[in-house]
Amino acid sequence: MLIYQLIALAGLIAGLFGICLRYAATRLRSLPADRSPSKGDIPRGIKYAFTAGMMPWAKESTRIHRIAYLRGIGLHVGVFVAIGVVIISPFWESLPALLSRALFWVLMLGALLGAAGGIMRLLEHTLRGLSLPDDHFAVWLTTIFIATAGLALSNEAFMIPMYIVSAITFVYIPLGKIRHCLYFFFSRIFFGKFFGRRAVFPHPQRAK
Amino acid sequence: MTETIELALKALETQLNQPLETALEACARCGICAEACHYYRAEPKVEHIPAFRAEQLRSIHRYEHDFLSRLFPVWTRSKKLDEATLANLTEIAFSQCTLCRRCTVNCPLGVDTPLMMRAIRGMASTTGTAPEILVMLADAAIEKGKDPSFYKEMFLAQIREMEEQLRDITGDQDAEIPVDKQGARILYVPLAGAHTILPPAIVFNTAKEDWTLSIFEASNYGVFLADMDRAKQVAKRIVDEANRLGVGEIVISECGHAYSSYRWDVPNWFPGEFNFKVRSLIEVIADHIADGRIKVDPTVIPEAVTYHDSCNLARNGGLIEEPRFVLDRITTDFREMTPNKAEALCCGGGGGLVALAEYDELRIAAGKPKADQIKNTGARVVVAACENCRLQIGELNEHYDLNVSITALTDLVVRAMRLPKPLTGGEGEDLFEGERALATKD
Repeated sequence: MLIYQLIALAGLIAGLFGICLRYAATRLRSLPADRSPSKGDIPRGIKYAFTAGMMPWAKESTRIHRIAYLRGIGLHVGVFVAIGVVIISPFWESLPALLSRALFWVLMLGALLGAAGGIMRLLEHTLRGLSLPDDHFAVWLTTIFIATAGLALSNEAFMIPMYIVSAITFVYIPLGKIRHCLYFFFSRIFFGKFFGRRAVFPHPQRAK
Repeated sequence: MTETIELALKALETQLNQPLETALEACARCGICAEACHYYRAEPKVEHIPAFRAEQLRSIHRYEHDFLSRLFPVWTRSKKLDEATLANLTEIAFSQCTLCRRCTVNCPLGVDTPLMMRAIRGMASTTGTAPEILVMLADAAIEKGKDPSFYKEMFLAQIREMEEQLRDITGDQDAEIPVDKQGARILYVPLAGAHTILPPAIVFNTAKEDWTLSIFEASNYGVFLADMDRAKQVAKRIVDEANRLGVGEIVISECGHAYSSYRWDVPNWFPGEFNFKVRSLIEVIADHIADGRIKVDPTVIPEAVTYHDSCNLARNGGLIEEPRFVLDRITTDFREMTPNKAEALCCGGGGGLVALAEYDELRIAAGKPKADQIKNTGARVVVAACENCRLQIGELNEHYDLNVSITALTDLVVRAMRLPKPLTGGEGEDLFEGERALATKD
């Protein structure tokens, strides 16, 4: 088992290294100065971008596509929980049974939602038109990653597949579409700065 | 690689800063942005999804910068830029995106697709493949800045004539339209047309405002081109004028892109801090109404009135409540469109689109969702505080039989001021010959 754990660890280190390289490369790019007098509040704008602005009711698009949005949220929760679960896998035995059970169901739900997303990418005309081979691969890879992590929690037979899939997933993060997990943070910060400065989000109800 | 392609890639590289790289990398291609775009709403097809449009530039960026994409282009559908792709990108950026940022607001990741469309426009401008009309309009404005004396005399003569009208309408024989007034509090920058001078002059004179009229117009076609060199040259005329006159603030006429650029972008184009503020005419009017410096009577306007949020004023400019404050005081039956404010639908006329005759059909088709919105309010008057929006809604009015009248906010304020004589006739006279005619394609 140790060898598989080391493979997963190597994958994690490689993935983190790749993400750090991506982060550094982006940070090396210039950041345009904004000297226009602010009308709103930039820190509040950034806070909004990561909190209220992420709520399903905050945007027309997520109000229209509420199920797709929640499906995406479920998949992403599953991914982050799975990463945590894999990292602490050598200590699973000390996990309380109830927590272990809860993690299992969260991961199973995440995997189910991921699979639903993968199927929608294949079936829905517009989504299929938008998707690259990278997108299909990424959604199924993360779905299998979540599923194996969940299954390994309840059945030791899935431990080796979990470590192998984890290693592939970790390595693939900086290489393919999954790297949007890094740019999500950049993007929401720029969103918060732009709209916060202009007092568009969060928006004061009455200016006068 | 041809010289054009080399130039285009260099232009992309020059623009590649943190926000642009983020926009190029962050998209998850979830497609949730689709209905945010008025082009998609009008004609739901994959090509009209903002993410799809942006993907055309992403595929180029990935080929240039991504290891995996260079190794296996098929995997990420990456491609090397060629002449045909550049032409396609240019077509997309100038004909299928008004830079309204509605997709950004609706994206779960907040991807700034208009930033990418601007980058493409910048590539097109650098390679000389941008729409010629926009280049001509920007160049005409730059030429005027180099030697304003050529047309200034004619301009002043027309202003003196307009002063007669002003005195007639207001009944105030001391009313004036000052030009080149040293130390005035406000430098008002109009658009190409008397209709953007006389109504504000009525407001300023009634409010006893200390103001002077700019000899330049606020439009900046360099902004539409994403041509920083041209945009700076156009803006510099007004910045220099404000500095020369020592004004306290520049007040921009009812114009979306001019307000948004002068308020939020132009301060970053010149070294040091401005000695003046930049505000919209709407903010000044709202202040004058709040302070009681101009009196308005809402019963003068009994018709149902609705307001169109220009994307550059509202979503991109933060001017959301100010026009509503004014409308609240001058109307008796104000009806909001749904959705509105930061979620408002673009009319389809932004991004310089109204000046591009070759895309008329597409622009009018993309305006259908806005036309439906207007129809659903049941309003008879549509207020739009942006010239390009007014031109577009005017055309939508005809095409979709909306049976509404379209007006600037200032015109409606003047109507509510109960002046001795109404504001009619002659206000549309063109003071900036050539440019307006080109912009309206007459």
